[in-house]
Amino acid sequence: MVAPVEIRDLSKRFGRVEAVRNLSFDVGAGRVTGFLGPNGAGKSTTLRALLGLVRPTTGTATFDGRPYDELERPSTQVGAVLEDASFHPGRTARNHLRVLAATGEHPQERVDVVLAEVGLTEAADRRVKGYSMGMRQRLAIAAALLGDPSVLILDEPTNGLDPPGIHWMRGMLRDQASRGRAVLVSSHLLAEVAQSVDDVVVIAKGELRGQGPLKQVLGGDDGPSTEVRARDNNRLARELESHGHTVQRDGDALLVLGVTPEQVGAIAGEARVNLIGLAPRGRSLETAFFALTAETT
Amino acid sequence: MSALLHAELLKLRTTRTFVALGGAALGLSLLVVVLTALLGKSFTEKEVRELFTADFTGLFILMLGVIGMAGEWRHRTITSTILAAPDRLRLLAAKTLSYALAGALLSLIVTAAIMAVGTLILSSRGEPTIGISQLTDVLWRNLLVAALLGGLGVCIGALVRNQIVAVVGVLVFAFVLEPAIMALASDVGRFGPTVAAPNGILEVQPFGNSELLAPGIAALVMVGWVALGFAAAAMLLRQRDLV
Repeated sequence: MVAPVEIRDLSKRFGRVEAVRNLSFDVGAGRVTGFLGPNGAGKSTTLRALLGLVRPTTGTATFDGRPYDELERPSTQVGAVLEDASFHPGRTARNHLRVLAATGEHPQERVDVVLAEVGLTEAADRRVKGYSMGMRQRLAIAAALLGDPSVLILDEPTNGLDPPGIHWMRGMLRDQASRGRAVLVSSHLLAEVAQSVDDVVVIAKGELRGQGPLKQVLGGDDGPSTEVRARDNNRLARELESHGHTVQRDGDALLVLGVTPEQVGAIAGEARVNLIGLAPRGRSLETAFFALTAETT
Repeated sequence: MSALLHAELLKLRTTRTFVALGGAALGLSLLVVVLTALLGKSFTEKEVRELFTADFTGLFILMLGVIGMAGEWRHRTITSTILAAPDRLRLLAAKTLSYALAGALLSLIVTAAIMAVGTLILSSRGEPTIGISQLTDVLWRNLLVAALLGGLGVCIGALVRNQIVAVVGVLVFAFVLEPAIMALASDVGRFGPTVAAPNGILEVQPFGNSELLAPGIAALVMVGWVALGFAAAAMLLRQRDLV
């Protein structure tokens, strides 16, 4: 079965710079997929290759098996909000959408529908040059929704937004996925999308570092973890596991997930196991993300 | 293609630039014709005919074409434009055609206005006027020149991309370089796309006694310039990564 969005062995080279290297991933329908990576990781280049704006050096990027520039009416299949979403400053929001509706052969009534959907009805006849960043982002999203597409692609959509704007964006992403759309949203800030994504694709230096459900790739936010060293690590591990805790070997220490040092100390005391060291160790999504995107040596 | 053409014409109508420059073309053309008709003496039929070629639409639609296409990069709207119409060749064709149509329409309005006002003034002063067949002949030539220059402007805008450089470059070429080439080497200069060939179509002599191309040849040369510009712009636009 063909996924709504498929990227296969995609590479893009600009002169000596290899911006994207052998990247492959899918985006599923009805899910929000976070496309994560630090600045310069190759996210925008990948999205632009997907949208036919840059020519891949090798590999393919398709929607339902077809490249963007071969889609008959692309705006009915794909809506895109790119990082540099720009508008003619002298044109009103309504006229901007009317032009896009004419290009995509959408009924003009859709203009009012999408303006209402993003909350811009009252400002629709104002020239875009007077719009705030948040209003421009809403207008870009209205433009993306004009053709009622099955796939939405957003490149760093929260950049420059204030907290209410970010909150609105998160809700909008979830709402679009709940309507069955495949949503691909890029960000260099995990915290901004972690609450709204189902899956993640993590890249760094143009290479894939991980993909799948958020918790599978980055590890869930398992709460406090404890690093412990005992004179008899094997015995302590057995005791902790018998209490239902997950224990991982980490060199000469044990990492006990989801447990505070006090709880580990109590179990060790009951079992009369001598401890050498006991300390809390956090593993947040953020630290996992940093570890995953760190430079490989 | 008709949807793209409709969208491009809508783009033109929904900014103030077209109204402003179109109004300027009409105002300037009327000013020249009114002053000449009021102040001139003993007009010949040939001079009256030449008076009605004072339609400045060509210059302004050339500028509008440059501004419209290069403006896609200046305002960074080229990305959303190409996302909506990924076939870049069709997009360029629609834009070229829309400015050609807009040029012809604007020229129709301006030429009709200057002919009406000019004829009124000349006849009130007892000066000769020209008949409907000659007026029609001037009209279609004005329309053709405006249409071709509108299309050429789009191609120049697509090639240069920097709006200011493109506008200044076209003005310098039209008002300095092309007249200079015409003066120094008229055999080469009469093929010029912004002044010499258009005046060949209009059969107006802007460079003293320099010999211009015959109207049919001049029209073909202009079509050739537009075709060349279109081919170069299409090649560049299709190959260019939009990063």
